[in-house]
Amino acid sequence: MILSLYGAWQKNCGGAFPPKFKAPRQVWVSNMDTVEEEKLGLIDLHPEVFAERPRVDIIHENVRWQQLYRHVSYANTKMRYEVRGGGKKPRQQKGSGRSRHGSIRSPIWRGGGIVHGPRSPTPYFYMLGFNTRLNGLRSTLSAKLAQDDLHIVDSLDIPTDDPSYLEKLVEERGWGPAVLFVDDNDIMPLNITAASDSHGHYNLMPVYGLNVYSMLKHHTLVLTLAAVERLEERLLFHLNRNDAASAGQKYKLDSV
Amino acid sequence: MTSLLGSMISTLGMALRYRPLIGVSSQVSKANALFNPELTTVRFRYHADKVAKGPVPRRHGYEEKLFQSGLLPRKVSVDKALPMPTYKPKNSWNEKRALFGQNDYIDILGPSNEISQKTLHPTQLLYHVPPWLRGVQGNEYQVLLRRRKFVQKKGYALGHPTKWATLNTRIKKLYTYLNHKTKSPFWKHS
Repeated sequence: MILSLYGAWQKNCGGAFPPKFKAPRQVWVSNMDTVEEEKLGLIDLHPEVFAERPRVDIIHENVRWQQLYRHVSYANTKMRYEVRGGGKKPRQQKGSGRSRHGSIRSPIWRGGGIVHGPRSPTPYFYMLGFNTRLNGLRSTLSAKLAQDDLHIVDSLDIPTDDPSYLEKLVEERGWGPAVLFVDDNDIMPLNITAASDSHGHYNLMPVYGLNVYSMLKHHTLVLTLAAVERLEERLLFHLNRNDAASAGQKYKLDSV
Repeated sequence: MTSLLGSMISTLGMALRYRPLIGVSSQVSKANALFNPELTTVRFRYHADKVAKGPVPRRHGYEEKLFQSGLLPRKVSVDKALPMPTYKPKNSWNEKRALFGQNDYIDILGPSNEISQKTLHPTQLLYHVPPWLRGVQGNEYQVLLRRRKFVQKKGYALGHPTKWATLNTRIKKLYTYLNHKTKSPFWKHS
């Protein structure tokens, strides 16, 4: 069942208007019922989501942001007045022939305070621009499609909950060692959940959980038809919204 | 002619050191060796060849006092192995690492509230960060002020008197340092 270009567009883009000078990318839809791949049909993917020229610098910025924004350093060193002791002058100023000191916890002493050391907790939080993150998603999805690491399936229903079924399937189809299955709903079918539970490298994710880091960590990205529709709808909404300026404003603390 | 020859022979020195004239006795042969337009010197030694053979030794005559020949055997007892832990590679695919970064784009990809049109923000999902530190970007002084603001409402002064005192002392000290000792704007110094 090979769908026509325009018909496919209407069906799969939720009524999104196709851009004038960019051709949609056609992708096969496979099944998950059998180990061998069965092609069920062709669909069109919106070029502004899946065929953007991948910007490696934006992808890098996104990965760096994901790694850093939640990081808090709890390293701590004590200052001279926080270290226990050191209130008394060790010896008289003059007469002993030795060097003069005011406290045994001064920074020049062994066991003394640290002057400019780490002070806990140090947050490394920063918010990347809205459009940078949006374009990061677009770039990564485009890169995945361009490098044959993106596959579309009709749904994530598999016949058994046997972990070896998934292994054989992935091996047969030449999908990467690590596969990320993305569906629209956050409650996944029982069989695939049980099958992928024992494997750390087969992971299930809803569309709202998708992110640049995960897409790069997993070799292959497998999207369901529902996931593709939702993804395109969300990304195109943000690309074509009227109040983009208000969405792209700088993050303010306690404004959420 | 003889005087010139004589002067040339007397200044043989350096030249003849590298080209010894074996079995040459006559003055004419010696003169020929010194100056003969038909002869020319040919370079046959290159520093590059010396370097190619191996590292050229430096500091000739210097004796290195440190032990250069590798690891020293240190065994407490002959039977016991060295107290080093067995290497266990980290599991790159445990749950935390496999799903790292999930929901970071929830404000872009997540559903919005129908009434308010608002989505969740990734700062709201920082469960492992202290609540007063979620979404906070600042230097130590700013962070401490915020911590004091949050913590005093919960009776921190009664429950943790020493830490409350340390907090206030630190804020006071940072205030004096930043305002009396530094000239640049406060956000430039940590």
